Amino acid sequence: MSDIALKPVTSSARRNKDTVRARNRREVWMLLAFLLAIWAVTALLSPRFLNPANLRDILVLAAPLGFVVIGQMIVIIVRGLDLSVASIMATVAVLAIGLGDNVFVIMALGLMLGAAMGAFNGYLVAYRNVTPFLATLATMIVLQGVRFAYTGGAPSGTLPDGLRFLSTGTIAGVPVSLLLLLAVAFCAHWMLERTILGRRFKLYGVNPQAARMTGAPVRFLVVLAFTISGLMAAIGGLVLVGYVGIVDNWTGRGYELDSIAAAVIGGAALTGGKGSVPGALLAALILVSLFNIVVILGMSIELQLVIKGTLIILAAAVYMKRRDN
Amino acid sequence: MSDLIRATRAGPVHLVVLALTVLVFAIGVYSSDRFATPLNLANVQDQMVALAIVALAQTIVILSGGIDLSYAGALSAMCVVFAMLAGDDPASFSLAVVTVLALGVGIGLINGGITAHVGIHPLIVTLGTSTILAGAALLLTNQPTGSVPVFFEDFVYGRAGSVPYGMIFVMALYVLIGTMLWKTRFGTRIYAIGDNEHAASISGLPVRRTKVFVYVLSGVICAIAAIYMTGRFGVGDPRAGVGFDLRSITPVIVGGTLLAGGRGGVLGTFLAVILLAFLGNVLNFLNVSSAFQWIVEGLIIVAAVSFFARRTGK
Repeated sequence: MSDIALKPVTSSARRNKDTVRARNRREVWMLLAFLLAIWAVTALLSPRFLNPANLRDILVLAAPLGFVVIGQMIVIIVRGLDLSVASIMATVAVLAIGLGDNVFVIMALGLMLGAAMGAFNGYLVAYRNVTPFLATLATMIVLQGVRFAYTGGAPSGTLPDGLRFLSTGTIAGVPVSLLLLLAVAFCAHWMLERTILGRRFKLYGVNPQAARMTGAPVRFLVVLAFTISGLMAAIGGLVLVGYVGIVDNWTGRGYELDSIAAAVIGGAALTGGKGSVPGALLAALILVSLFNIVVILGMSIELQLVIKGTLIILAAAVYMKRRDN
Repeated sequence: MSDLIRATRAGPVHLVVLALTVLVFAIGVYSSDRFATPLNLANVQDQMVALAIVALAQTIVILSGGIDLSYAGALSAMCVVFAMLAGDDPASFSLAVVTVLALGVGIGLINGGITAHVGIHPLIVTLGTSTILAGAALLLTNQPTGSVPVFFEDFVYGRAGSVPYGMIFVMALYVLIGTMLWKTRFGTRIYAIGDNEHAASISGLPVRRTKVFVYVLSGVICAIAAIYMTGRFGVGDPRAGVGFDLRSITPVIVGGTLLAGGRGGVLGTFLAVILLAFLGNVLNFLNVSSAFQWIVEGLIIVAAVSFFARRTGK
C-alpha cells in the first residue's frame, strides 16, 4: 500500500507518453525507409533518377504540398478536415497578382487573406456547429465564385519577379521554397511537440470533453487550427504559382485531396489527436516522388493515381493494425 | 395520409424546401416567358437525372453514418467499361449492363468491406478507391470511346410529354429505395446504425454486414447512373465522373439529411435536387454568372446546415 503511495505520479504518464512518442517516431522511420526504398528501386531501374537536378525537381515540387499538408494535418488533429485549401491557394494567388510587385507586401497581404479565410472556416465549425467537412466544402465553393467574379474568368496581371524567386531562386545552392518550408516545418513541429498549445491540440483531438474540462479554450483552438491551415494554404499557393509561373483560377486543383492523403499516409487519423510534421512531410515527398518515378520509368502517368489510391488505403490499414496491437 | 407522412418522415424540412422551390418557380415565371415552357422544364429535368441518381446513393450511405467519395472515379470507370461493351445490339447491351452492375457490386464490396472490417474511416477508403478507379478509367482510354445502342439512346432522350423517361425512372428508383428505407428491417437498421453505431452494435444488430450492404447498394445505384450518363453522352468519357463526389453531397444536406447519419431521408434529397436544378436554371435566365451561382451554392450549404443543426440540436 505504502509503496503505491510513494510512487511518483508522473511515472505512468511518462511511460505512456513515451510509448506514444516512440510509436510516432517508429512510424516516421517507417515512412523514411519506404521513401528510400522506392528511391533505391527506381535508381536501380533508371540512372537518370539520382541525377541532382531530378532530385531537386522532386523537392521543389513537393514544397507547396508540404506547406498545405502541415496545415491540413493540424486541422485533422483537432478532428477537422479542410476541403477548402486548394480554393484558398488559388484565391490568394489570383488576388496576389493584383497587389503590385513588392513581394513582401504580396506575401504579407496574401498570408493575411489566407488566415482570414481559414479563420472563417474555424468560426463556422467552432461557433456555428457546422461539420468541418461541410463548412470547408461551402467555403471552397464560395471562394471559387469569388475568384471567378473577381477575375471575370481569366486572371490577368504579371507575376512579380520576387514571387518567382520564392520558388526558383536559391540561397547558397538551396531553393528558397525549401528553406522556407524547413523553417515553417521546424516551428510547427516545435509547436506540436514542445508547447502547451500543441499538447492542447492533441488533447482536444483525443477527447474534446476532457480538453474542455482542463480549461483549454477549445473554440479558440479549433479556430486557430483552421487559421493555420488557411495560412499554410496561402503560402503553398504563392510558392506554387512562383514555381509554375502563371496564375490560373484552378491553381492548386487537387491539393485538397492530396493533402488529406499525405496527412493520412503521414500518420494522421481522422478520429483526431494523432499526427506528426515529419511524417506528413515525408508522405508529401513520397506522393510527389511517385509521380516523378512513374514518368522517369516511362510508365503511363495515370498509373500514379492507381498507386496513390492503393497507398492511402494501405497506409491507413497499417496504422489501424498498429493501433489495435 | 398521416400514415404516409409518418412513413416518409415528411416534416418541416420538406415544407421549407418545397416553399423555396415554389419561390424559385415564381421568380422564373416572372423573369422570363421561356421559363415555364414544356421544353425548358423538360431540359432542366434532363439535367438533374444523373445527379438525382448519384445523390440517392449518397443519401443511403450518409444515413448509415458513412460517406462515399468513390463516385468520381467509379462513374468514370463504369462509363468507359459500359461504352466499350455496349456495342449496338440487345445482346451486347445486356452484357454491358450486367458487367457494370457487377462492377458496382464489386466496388461496393471493397468500400464496405474495408470500412466495416478493417475499421478505416469511409472517407479515406472511398477517396482511395476513387483515385484508383479514376486512374483505371484513364488507363483504359485517354479519349472518350465506345458507343451505345441506338434504342438505348432513344430511351434516354425520350420524353412522355414534358417529362423525360429518365425522370420517371428516377422517381421509380426513389420510391423503391424509399420503401426499402421505410418499410424493411434493413432500412431500419441503416437508420439505427447512423444514429448510434455503438448502441446498434450492442443491441445485436449486424452492423458490419449492414454497412457492407449499404456500400454495395451505393455502388449499384452509381452503376445505374453511369449507364444513364453513357447513354446521354453516347460515348464512354474517362472523365465523366469528375466532381460528382462532392456535388452529390449538396442535395443530400440541403434535403435535411444529417452528415452525422441517422436523420433524414430520400424524400428531402429528391426535393433538394429539384430545387437546386431549377435554381440554377432561373439564375441562368436572370443572367447571373456562374461565379455568383457558386457563391449562392456555398451559402445554401451553410444556411441548410445551420438551420438543421439548430432544429435537431445535433
